[in-house]
Amino acid sequence: MTAIELDGLRKEFDDVVALDGVDLTVDDGEVFGFLGPNGAGKSTTINILLDFVRPTAGTATVLGHDVREESEAIRERIGVLPEGYGVYERLTGRQHMKFVIESKDADDDPEELLERVGVADAIDRRAGGYSKGMKQRLVLAMALVDQPDLLILDEPTTGLDPNGARKMRELIREENERGATIFFSSHILSQVDAVCDTVGILQDGKLIAKDSVEGLREAQGEMNLVVTVGDAANLDGTLDAVRGLAEVSSVAHSGDRITVSCDSGAKMDVLNAFEDDGVAVDDFETEEASLEDLFSSYTEREDVEV
Amino acid sequence: MSAESGALADIDERLREFGWYTVSKKEFRDAIRSRGLWLLSLIFATAFIAPVAIALYTDFAAGGGITAQALQEQGMQLLLRGIYLNMVTLLLPIVAIFVGYAAISKERTSGSLKILLSLPHSRRDVIVGKVLGRCAVLGVPLIIALSLTAVFITASNITFKPELFGLFSLFTVMFALVFVAITVSISGVFEKSSWSGVANFIVYSYMTFLWNAGANGIGSALQDYLGVTGALRWHTVILLKLVNPNQAYKTLVDSLLSSGETPVLSARLGMFGRGANQEVICTGVLNGVWGNETVQVLGGQTAQIPACVESNGVPFVYSDPAVFVFMTVWVGIAAALSYYTFSLADL
Repeated sequence: MTAIELDGLRKEFDDVVALDGVDLTVDDGEVFGFLGPNGAGKSTTINILLDFVRPTAGTATVLGHDVREESEAIRERIGVLPEGYGVYERLTGRQHMKFVIESKDADDDPEELLERVGVADAIDRRAGGYSKGMKQRLVLAMALVDQPDLLILDEPTTGLDPNGARKMRELIREENERGATIFFSSHILSQVDAVCDTVGILQDGKLIAKDSVEGLREAQGEMNLVVTVGDAANLDGTLDAVRGLAEVSSVAHSGDRITVSCDSGAKMDVLNAFEDDGVAVDDFETEEASLEDLFSSYTEREDVEV
Repeated sequence: MSAESGALADIDERLREFGWYTVSKKEFRDAIRSRGLWLLSLIFATAFIAPVAIALYTDFAAGGGITAQALQEQGMQLLLRGIYLNMVTLLLPIVAIFVGYAAISKERTSGSLKILLSLPHSRRDVIVGKVLGRCAVLGVPLIIALSLTAVFITASNITFKPELFGLFSLFTVMFALVFVAITVSISGVFEKSSWSGVANFIVYSYMTFLWNAGANGIGSALQDYLGVTGALRWHTVILLKLVNPNQAYKTLVDSLLSSGETPVLSARLGMFGRGANQEVICTGVLNGVWGNETVQVLGGQTAQIPACVESNGVPFVYSDPAVFVFMTVWVGIAAALSYYTFSLADL
């Protein structure tokens, strides 16, 4: 079964095309990272899933329900951290939770859920006095009510400190292990690449890539291998030999450190090339391409085409 | 837990099946924590109770004289017509605006609407829940103020007439509900509360001060430019006037308080000023009889003046029940406005 299915989704605002024919399938039980720079159309997509915004063309289904026709049925079974949300300043954390629990006809314990996100000590305080991070946690706790089948989180790590972002990742994992599908958007890739099964990259309203994190890395193929040698003199011959390897795309040299860009699987070949030429390798480290690099390479490629 | 709270919990549980109920409960909880609203309710209750409190304090209409007896008998009508009618039509809509003008627009600006609508509530539930929640916010102090007024009247020398007061209260609460519905709907149109406030105030001013002039103007224009004369012209004008909830409320209360033999007829006739053709309205529109009325003039003499003297039954469309419907139809108009602006809009 599919959790989310987008088919030729298009949205125009006045004279701006926010989404330009997006097709996307998110499978049940996946952790899906929906990535892209600000303004790419991530929030518009999520707003369409929630029926906040109506598509100009195309269709979208969530948990098998059409987003326009059966929005309430969808919202019975999902938990949401919306973009640009606000809390009810005059109501306490507990009252917020109760409102959600009653709205979903659930029987969760407000305290237990707030405990999970770490704001249980503020449960009887007015949410108006909460800090930005606390509000975010409160809304997240509200999203967890009634064990939703799907969590839709718009920029969940934005506004959280590193510790908060780590807890958020833990929570996403926990919920996923329970069986929930997670669909979240982000523009800060380094915070989320650790939790995603699959990522989709959205750029200017178009889905330009969709793959597993590993798959994307493989597709990208490159990694940097930084080699520290014992003796930096008379290396030219050795470097030429390394450059000659089929898997190596470039070699840069600075002091006793040599940075080799090569295919992910070519590490041993490169190191052997040094050893074969009689150069002692004191140390080496690999720098795998982060999603950030992947992302900019994708978006740059797009720029070139345009 | 007592049996009573158990019963309440049971009612609460059953009402939760309705989507709007949870929203209106949240709405009420949220709104009653506003200090501004408490202050407003206090001012409002004070304004309501003050006239009867003064009547009680000054021992108004005391004694057994003829004048005193007449005042005791007619005192409630005098109070309601002379003070409360104006207070309600001028003040209550303003209070309703304060209660409801930001109901939806504020949630839009703050972003809490996104939380509300990410839960399993339809937009219709949100509108209905908000209207009912805000009605409760206004209705509770209003009913308390009306009850206190009743208590004060009973304690004073003025004769308390429960049926009359009950109907007056019903019309007043309905009038308040109509304005809250209009106000909340307008709030759904605008992205900013300040615009909603301005729009609400314009609507209020138009309904309270300009609508009748507009209706009369349309009547004159019909005659001047389209040659629509006689009864048809006045049918148009009276219908236009009755569509205004303010006017509908006034004329309802008017016929309720009228002591004459033809309360409905005189109340509807009272909607027209000197510029209107009373004879045509009497006979052609309201199905009355135009004749001579004997009135007392100074010095004990009597005089005959032409007037609408008898009623053959006001047509149903201008009767009290119909006018009550005219007033409440605004809830529907407000709902339609909400549907096309809020329910179909992108957030």
